[in-house]
Amino acid sequence: MSEGTAVMDASSAAAKRIERAPLVTNNRTMSWISDRVASCTERRAPTWWWITFTLTSSLAVVSLLCIAYLISTGVGVWGLNHPIGWAWDITNFVFWIGIGHAGTLISAILYLARQKWRTSINRAAEAMTLFAVVCAGIFPMIHVGRIWMVWFLAPVPTSMGIWQNFRSPLLWDVFAVSTYFTVSILFWYTGLVPDLATLRDRATTKIRKFFYGIGALGWRGGNRQWKHYEMAYLILAGLSTPLVLSVHSVVSFDFATSVIPGWHTTIFPPYFVAGAIFGGFAMVLTIMLPARAIFGLHDLITDDHVDKMCKIILLTGSMVGYAYAMEFFIAWYGGNLFEQYAFINRATGPYWWAYWSMIFCNVVSPQLFWFRRMRRHVLPVFIVCMFVNAGMWFERFVIIVTSLHRDFLPSSWNMFYPTWVDIWTFTGTFGIFLTLFLLFIRWLPMICIFEVKAVLPEADPHYHGHHKATIEGGGH
Amino acid sequence: MQRVLPHPERPERPTLWRSLDELAATPEFIEKLEREFPDGAAEWHGGELSRRNFLQLMGASMALAGIGLTGCRRPEAHLVAFTGSAEWTIPGKFLYYATSQPRRQGAMPLIATTSDGRPTKVEGNPLHPGSNGATDAFAQASVLDLYDPNRSKAFVQGGKQAAAPAFWAAVDKVRETSGADGGAGLAFLVERTDSPTRDRLLAQLRKKFPKMLWAEYEPLGSMGAEVAAASCFGAGVAVAPDFSRADKVLAVDSDFLNASFSDIEQVRSFMSRRRISAPGQPMNRLYVAETRYTSTGGLADHRLRIKPSEVGSFLRALGENIAKLTGDASLNTVVSAFPAGAPSANAEWIAECAKDLAESKGKSLVVAGGQQPESIHALVFAINTALGANGTALRGMMANRPQAASILDLTDAMKSGRVQSLFILGGNPVYNAPADLNFGDLLGAVPFSVRLGMYEDETSAVAKWHVPQAHYLESWGDARSSDGTVCAVQPMILPLWDGVNELEILNRLAGNPEPIGPQLVRDTFAATAKGGDLETQWKEFLRQGFLPSTAWPEAALHFNADAAALAAARHPKTPEGLEVAFVPSNSLDDGRYSNNGWLQETPDFVTKITWDNAALVSPATAKSLSIATGDMLELSADGRSIEAAALITPGHADGAISIALGYGRKDVTHLSDKVGFNAYPLRTSGGMLFASNVSLRRTGATHGFAETQTHQSMEGRDLVREGTAERYAEDPTFAQTMGMDGHIPPNISLFTHPPLTSPQQWGMVVDLSTCIGCNACLVACQSENNIPIVGKEQVSRGRHMAWIRMDRYFAGDENDPEMLAQAIMCQHCENATCETVCPVNATVHSEDGLNLMVYNRCIGTRYCANNCPWKVRRFNFFDYNQRPLDQLYLGPLAKKGMAESLQMSKNPNVTVRMRGVMEKCTYCIQRIEEGRIAHSIQAGAADKSEIPFPEVKTACQQACPSEAIVFGNINDLESRVVRLKGEPRNYEMLKYLNERARTTYLARIKNPNMHMPGADKVGWANGHSHHGGGHGAPAGHATEAHGA
Repeated sequence: MSEGTAVMDASSAAAKRIERAPLVTNNRTMSWISDRVASCTERRAPTWWWITFTLTSSLAVVSLLCIAYLISTGVGVWGLNHPIGWAWDITNFVFWIGIGHAGTLISAILYLARQKWRTSINRAAEAMTLFAVVCAGIFPMIHVGRIWMVWFLAPVPTSMGIWQNFRSPLLWDVFAVSTYFTVSILFWYTGLVPDLATLRDRATTKIRKFFYGIGALGWRGGNRQWKHYEMAYLILAGLSTPLVLSVHSVVSFDFATSVIPGWHTTIFPPYFVAGAIFGGFAMVLTIMLPARAIFGLHDLITDDHVDKMCKIILLTGSMVGYAYAMEFFIAWYGGNLFEQYAFINRATGPYWWAYWSMIFCNVVSPQLFWFRRMRRHVLPVFIVCMFVNAGMWFERFVIIVTSLHRDFLPSSWNMFYPTWVDIWTFTGTFGIFLTLFLLFIRWLPMICIFEVKAVLPEADPHYHGHHKATIEGGGH
Repeated sequence: MQRVLPHPERPERPTLWRSLDELAATPEFIEKLEREFPDGAAEWHGGELSRRNFLQLMGASMALAGIGLTGCRRPEAHLVAFTGSAEWTIPGKFLYYATSQPRRQGAMPLIATTSDGRPTKVEGNPLHPGSNGATDAFAQASVLDLYDPNRSKAFVQGGKQAAAPAFWAAVDKVRETSGADGGAGLAFLVERTDSPTRDRLLAQLRKKFPKMLWAEYEPLGSMGAEVAAASCFGAGVAVAPDFSRADKVLAVDSDFLNASFSDIEQVRSFMSRRRISAPGQPMNRLYVAETRYTSTGGLADHRLRIKPSEVGSFLRALGENIAKLTGDASLNTVVSAFPAGAPSANAEWIAECAKDLAESKGKSLVVAGGQQPESIHALVFAINTALGANGTALRGMMANRPQAASILDLTDAMKSGRVQSLFILGGNPVYNAPADLNFGDLLGAVPFSVRLGMYEDETSAVAKWHVPQAHYLESWGDARSSDGTVCAVQPMILPLWDGVNELEILNRLAGNPEPIGPQLVRDTFAATAKGGDLETQWKEFLRQGFLPSTAWPEAALHFNADAAALAAARHPKTPEGLEVAFVPSNSLDDGRYSNNGWLQETPDFVTKITWDNAALVSPATAKSLSIATGDMLELSADGRSIEAAALITPGHADGAISIALGYGRKDVTHLSDKVGFNAYPLRTSGGMLFASNVSLRRTGATHGFAETQTHQSMEGRDLVREGTAERYAEDPTFAQTMGMDGHIPPNISLFTHPPLTSPQQWGMVVDLSTCIGCNACLVACQSENNIPIVGKEQVSRGRHMAWIRMDRYFAGDENDPEMLAQAIMCQHCENATCETVCPVNATVHSEDGLNLMVYNRCIGTRYCANNCPWKVRRFNFFDYNQRPLDQLYLGPLAKKGMAESLQMSKNPNVTVRMRGVMEKCTYCIQRIEEGRIAHSIQAGAADKSEIPFPEVKTACQQACPSEAIVFGNINDLESRVVRLKGEPRNYEMLKYLNERARTTYLARIKNPNMHMPGADKVGWANGHSHHGGGHGAPAGHATEAHGA
């Protein structure tokens, strides 16, 4: 038997046959979990980490340099033009903000729904949410013409006596995204506190002890503290839950409340939310699969987890596909010449390749997940997730650019061509995202140690009266 | 403007005083005053113009502009600095002076707007009989030329900068040496302007130098028409069409509706018969036969595409038909003298057209382009005589212009070595003279040559002397408008860079004393003005800008058929093969405006390309020659060749290529450098109109065009609506029930809209029936609203900044489509979608119904522009005003700042926008506010509502030669805008959006002759179905020749 495995007697083994598949495989013990997760932050950084970190942080710097160039020179360094006032900037914004949604869904909605399998992925998914929102927040900020005046968006009393325009969805965005970021960071941090205490207790150096000690906010694991913790976490989960739906709905209002054919669509809020969860889960898998392989976390993030996430991808992908079809149906059924043209142009106009890439990535490729074998095999899962990531970017590009480039007056029709600044600003945000993620896995427990322990069979000793598992001392 | 001058005497002691010292004017006080502003404290060094110079200039222009009214340009001792303001000026308030822009086809009478001594805008002179206060694109853009930092600023002798006195000494020497042999070695090459003062000086010179050679050259002149008029109707007779008396008009290769090349009077008289205010009203009918699409062709009821060489056979066939119908013997004579060509393929078209013209005998008119040869005009005069147009639709005038030799006479003299001293006053012959003359080489061999020009260009490089020319806004002069009325050319400012005007050189050569101010003009005036007090008349002349009743006298038109037959017989034969027509550039004329960024960036209204010309070729010809748009072509004929990029243009005649002149200059001026393709090297004195038998080769290279409109079809959308006169009479509201508007339910708002409370509610109507698409409004807007230019690279990225644009669509068959033009500016929607989406309230609505743009508040999210269905909002992607256009991408490393002279050209009432903010048409809010202030002042304490609000005109409206744009208060039921909005053909674009646009359009009405071939398609650009082509009717998908 491998190390750290609990001894089970024959009767419990017999009982297992009628139980659900365990969430932690190989009967890992609590101390094994603590060791395994905490050790990721305690060992010397491996060479691959340094190599990857160098690459991603360099990429992040490229993005920052592009942004500096943009701000010092003008929005004209991007490929925008007169009918196409938004292109990659807002595409990237919606793309990143969408990615964040999976994290919140996993931590909040699945928590409220008592989906225990969420425990081994929620921490990383939430971290991903935060980093994605960071990347997303960059774009609306820098896409404006005069960033030094961007504080006009903040409803602060000034001598000018001008308020914001509360009718503008762009202002709603400001509130929605900042609320989302604030709640997400609180939620994430709250969930981190007990684990930070674990790291503090395991610390071997003064510096680690000091910093994790501060982060742990004096957590002792007492009953009272657990009670407060549970209450706080529940409240934050409750607060986050509507945000999963509202943030991307608000983002979709940027388009839905406008008059531009292809944007002016009531289906947008649910369609955007489904798309966000769809893309978010794909991104969670894209990141978790390599992390699981590298850190040997197969027992915590099991094939069952992957399977479940793939099912969500299949579900939301089909919803998105339904929305694509419905847009076309309504354009035809509505009888509006301009709407009809907008959709025909999407599929057959000069950006047909973007549209059909989107259809292939988002609607066709997830159909593989109807097959259980495909859902449980790393390679197809990873490939499909990469397609979905690309497809979701194309979706936003298609919505934004194909609608703007040919709207009402054909005299204004034009094409959008990205410049190198467009391309590197966007590519660089992956650098920012991955750099933050690498820092996260290096310094913080990427799996929620105490929650995973709570889903072990031994965490619930009274469930089966004859349970005889040897319980070892927990890390908390 | 009408203040009594000169300055009243200053009282010895101040009547208002700040202290007892001042009242007593004690020496201590005066010293204290002086110490407060020590010498040089206000001086700011650096740049081309120091602050002091600038003030001097401003003060100087102030002084002379004002004192000009008293008839005397005072010495500079009278300069008034703005610290001690001139009595008649109010800082920040405009002063208006009458002047005029000399043109080859006759002066354009103008009113110049000056602000603190700087002319910033010109408008047409509404008092002049040949103007309705309108202008054209060239006049509007001429203000920019004045301040062009690339203008020539110094005298140059043999490539080196020289002093002015040295030049004058050289002129004196020429005068002395030429005097000896009667001026046998003296020659002049001038541009065409009918200036009485120049004519007077010319007479003096001819007296002094009887053997001198005086030649006139205009690359785009109308010599053929003038010569033909003289031979057919008698020496000195000129003719002018009067379209107001013509029911049917046939224009053959004539772009008479483009005010830039004809004159505003013609546009106005044509439109007076085109404009209908109610269904069933009679309107004129226009037939056009031409090679490339022109604005005139765009407005035609029937248009025929003919090759340049087919003009003769077309007119001959027409003449034959008309001679048969009218039985006119003299026409028969001329037609039979005219050499017969191949039978025309358009016999039916010609026959029906002839029938229609002949039916309205006495009320029909044929016009041919002025550039056509004498033979064509002789034939046209014969046809008009047969049609009874002489004396009705065709007026005769006795224009006594002095004789001038042609450039051919001059080059003959130069070749024989007879020319010792040559004065080239204006023009640029080395660049634009016929290629076979080798003018540059000949000029280089002339021992003494002087070139007067605004730019140091190709001719200056060869001439011994280059003299900087004064702009017409900086010099005294006079000029006749096309009807012969003498107009004043008044300076608005002292020459910015010591420019000289041609009159000064001629005067010096004549040996007269140096003139003081307007003396030269005044002396001429004294001879012209009759009776009364000269001083009063002179003042009135300057105030009004012209001298009434100096128009050419009427001349009876007695057609001389024999002379006409002789002229007609001289019509040249054209060999077979591909033809290349040389056409004027709608943006640069013959190249004279090539350093004018406003014009360079104004899209040609047919091709929509900026910063370029192109070899225009029809889709069918392109197919047969396998040419694609952007292919570089080598066109050669007679051993001469040019290269140009092809542009497939619907509506062009097959078997011919058109190329605009005036482009393709290298290393001359900054903005014109390497822009477009030079067609002059292919143009010879024998083929000024077109080159024939041209061989074409694709070089394999390609060229990118900067187009402002890349999609040519309306896609079945009823944006521009048109119908026939018949349809309008039967179904007056056809324009309001077209397409979606026919079956959408009435718009309902989900919420109540805030009331618009002001008694003035602004609105606009654009009449598509009379909109020519001439671009005058575009340039006027650019001038009025300080709109920056962005350069070719930015235009090709789709970032042009024009606040008003001229949308142009083709409908129907791609080879022979209809062309529709539509001026689009901010529609000032009451329910504006841009306003709801701006997060910072930077675009809001005013009580008088304007959609406002608050630049200071704008952060540049561009959301408003995205959500504007008309796409009229313009974003400053870069600091176009502050950075050189070739360094936009260098960001902070680029040179910063605007040339000081260009700063002077800005309208002080309009903010110059920085990068990162959105801008758009404001309905010229600065003019509205000016009106509001005037209204408040006039009302004083009285109730404002009882005082009428002064008339406010937007810049586009004021410039429009055909009065197609009407702006006004839609609450004022008496106003013209309300009357037009009440017409049944008034419609709102994209009505279903419930934007409630304040700008509406009047559908275009066409008047086809149903007997003509293809008449069933005329006026049906929106398709025949009730749904207006919305469901795939023939209107859509015309062409995407060089589409997206």
